[in-house]
Amino acid sequence: MIESKRHRRMIANIATYIVLVSLSIFCIGPMIWMFLTSIKYEADIVTQTMQYMPSRITFDNYVAIWTQSGFPLLIGNSLVVTLLTVTICVVTGTLAAYAFSRFAFRGRDQLMLGYLVVRMFPAVMMIIPLYVVMRGVGLVDSRFGLALAYTSFLLPLFVWMLKGFFDSAPKELESAARIDGSTRLGAMIRIVVPLARNGLVASSVFIAIAAWNEFLFALMLTTGQGSRTWPVGLQLMVGEFQLPWGVLAAGGILSIVPVIVLFAIVQRTMVQGLTAGAVKG
Amino acid sequence: MTSSASRYLPFRALGELSETRYWMYLLLLPSLVLILLVIAYPTLYGMAISFREMRLTRPGLDGWVGFKHYAAMWSDPVFWIALKNTVVWVTAAVVLELALGLLTATALNRDLPGTKIFAVLILLPYFLPNVVAGHMWALLLDPRLGVINDILVRVGVLQTYKAWFADPNAALAATILVEAWHGFPFFALLLLAGLKSIPEDLYKAAAVDGAGVAAQLRLITLPMLKTVIAAAVILRVISLVNSPDLLLILTGGGPGDATQVLSLYAFQTAYKEFNFGYASALSVVMFVILMIFAVAYIRMSRITKE
Amino acid sequence: MATLSIKDVRKAYGSVQVLHGVDIELEDGGFLVLLGPSGCGKSTLLNMIAGLDDTSGGDILIGGRSVVDLAPKDRNIAMVFQSYALYPTMSVARNIGFGLERRGVDADKRKRAVEDAARLLQISHLLDRRPANLSGGQRQRVAMGRAIVRDPELFLFDEPLSNLDAKLRVEMRTEIKRLHERLGTSIVYVTHDQIEAMTLGTKVAVMKGGYIQQLADPRTIYERPANMFVASFIGSPAMNFLPGRLVRNADCVRFEASGVSMAMLASNPAEVSERPVVLGIRPEELKVAARDQASVTGMIDVVEPTGPETMVTVQVGERSVTARVPPRFAGQRNEAIFLTVDPVSINLFDPDTEQRIDI
Repeated sequence: MIESKRHRRMIANIATYIVLVSLSIFCIGPMIWMFLTSIKYEADIVTQTMQYMPSRITFDNYVAIWTQSGFPLLIGNSLVVTLLTVTICVVTGTLAAYAFSRFAFRGRDQLMLGYLVVRMFPAVMMIIPLYVVMRGVGLVDSRFGLALAYTSFLLPLFVWMLKGFFDSAPKELESAARIDGSTRLGAMIRIVVPLARNGLVASSVFIAIAAWNEFLFALMLTTGQGSRTWPVGLQLMVGEFQLPWGVLAAGGILSIVPVIVLFAIVQRTMVQGLTAGAVKG
Repeated sequence: MTSSASRYLPFRALGELSETRYWMYLLLLPSLVLILLVIAYPTLYGMAISFREMRLTRPGLDGWVGFKHYAAMWSDPVFWIALKNTVVWVTAAVVLELALGLLTATALNRDLPGTKIFAVLILLPYFLPNVVAGHMWALLLDPRLGVINDILVRVGVLQTYKAWFADPNAALAATILVEAWHGFPFFALLLLAGLKSIPEDLYKAAAVDGAGVAAQLRLITLPMLKTVIAAAVILRVISLVNSPDLLLILTGGGPGDATQVLSLYAFQTAYKEFNFGYASALSVVMFVILMIFAVAYIRMSRITKE
Repeated sequence: MATLSIKDVRKAYGSVQVLHGVDIELEDGGFLVLLGPSGCGKSTLLNMIAGLDDTSGGDILIGGRSVVDLAPKDRNIAMVFQSYALYPTMSVARNIGFGLERRGVDADKRKRAVEDAARLLQISHLLDRRPANLSGGQRQRVAMGRAIVRDPELFLFDEPLSNLDAKLRVEMRTEIKRLHERLGTSIVYVTHDQIEAMTLGTKVAVMKGGYIQQLADPRTIYERPANMFVASFIGSPAMNFLPGRLVRNADCVRFEASGVSMAMLASNPAEVSERPVVLGIRPEELKVAARDQASVTGMIDVVEPTGPETMVTVQVGERSVTARVPPRFAGQRNEAIFLTVDPVSINLFDPDTEQRIDI
């Protein structure tokens, strides 16, 4: 009896590892293949017999994407747009999340729900009027305009996520600080924000990644080199000059490196923030 | 009161303001203004556009046209194809993602030594940009150089390389696979959190009462996960219906209209033809359908909870 | 040190009224306990005194000065929280000194004040630690240190002992009482524990449903409860209630119920009207007696020796009463038992309004 139970557990453990390893290969495999492609010579990519491990390694593809296609400019634009988006969200969203977390006022729940319903608006439905409005005020093809457009869907997300982190900072600490001689503002800056620091960073990284990756708004709202972000640039390159696979793969790898690095740094807190709402609600 | 405090006079004034009852509104104000500006106004304007003629290519055409676009939609065969494809595509992707997500979460929840790293690896695709994910899979599925074709031929599943995105049925299936790859980590993440929130004692009690693994899954795990599943499905359906990115990159709606979905159709109508009126009408219809789905779904999962 | 006046203070969230016109006066150096079950409004009242919640009406004066328009930092109060609310990122010393630091007291003076407070609370050896490395009792002491170092006009305590285990709770209760007697500062103390209320308070406000049920010194609250809620909330085991009738013959008033018959003390027997009442008897006032002296007759149901005394549950008519009897009680289940009560110690209540009746 005990013998068979131990036996069963062992089989279950082996099955668990098999499942996890296969799923990881499913998830990571494509990225590894893209990386391998990016360091192959074009001749080794376009061959009759598939070459799995590259027989010779080259970084020409990286050099090519970086020097021949205005890629640095695209990356620079993306950086600016991402930083602007994060700045706008952090400044306005932190205040709002704090208010939602600390004050009970009439209509708070409705307002919070409203922030969520916003996510239901189809991107296209927002893009068209935003395009028309921004053309009217000269913000089409501007990095600031694009960042503003991004806040339309990232600010609500940011507020929701950060509110969860603020909620878990004990209210009594703030009360103690106020009695000890701080104003509400002082207590918020000295006590609450430092306590929610990890959450603030994780929420910011989350929207930074989303802004960095965004494609549809950027495609519609940027027309020239001045503000075009890398996803749009990469996509247009594929269409315009039949970008070789190796170069495209190199571009892909370059642009996801920051995402992976940022994710790796804050993944634990970010996971916590992403799941808190769903489990509670 | 003190020298250091009086040096930052504006900050101090703001501090005093924070003790008044206006403080809360001041905190909310910036984000509310921003949201009114970039969400509320554009949304209302977008709805208005759906009742107007607005084509950037033909500036002469302008003005109210009432329900013209909606009437046109009714007799537009592409709209109906896109609607059907949206339903098929979203349903298949969500079911696949839910199944994969549940499998992943269950495996991770066993907390075997060394499995933490898998959680991080499996979550990665969720944060990958659509553009990169799209081209990456286009490379993997390429009719001439695709490594997936090569593997499938080697193991004998396929006779020759297949042009996945040329065959209407295969194209839809392939895009569903890519979308599932991109989205299932999200399910895994939420479901894992849901599993972790189920008290261990419940399983112990059930085991003492003689419930087997299957009964535990049916009587404890699934009912306790119901809210998490409902939330995950809603969020995922919304984002799938709304974002045409991957399809735009992978197939552009083709071959023919085999992978044409509503969001993509609306975007192409706006982006390629600059027919903003019709595109807006399409997205309003999409929004209404989503709303009906969300309300019905929430209501249904509430009823079964009681 | 200061007096505290709470005048017709009200609180409403939207249309929900959580405090209905509360009036309390606390003398300089007094110890006011706000006692009641959860949701009675006691914490809300405390937060309003602190300025953490706004009042919806009425006035609060500390030392004769109205504070309702002042921010918490300007009220010259100190507060000890249920969760202690120690700043996790600061050392114990900085935690204690934070209030002085915010008020711009210079470092030397601050250091001395912190050390004095720490010595008083016997936590001098902990000053360099972080709150996370302290035990529950130590955190409690730090929280109190943070309050006393400021030398405020008024201390506020919000259920400060409820997170401690039973033994520590008794110890810290004594500590708080010693501190109060030593410092002489007025204190408002919120708790749901009636023992804390009885042992600490010079004045106890028993609250329920946003109303003050009774405001008096602990002895009066215990011996002469204003209504049946106060009577049952204070004391453990709780007061026994026996519904019955007041009966008058000649100039003698008696209480009659199934299994109970006893003479009442009335200041003016002739004016007492016959009516239904509820008789309230504390368990320790029921004494075992001979059959012919008995005023309460019943059947033993359960006998529970606790060591210093024994609790006996007795079936009297359709009611169950508890008697606190000497430890070597020899009765058995289902035996008849005869009890007497000193008529001075009883309470009478109106069965409809549940209010106290004095005859």
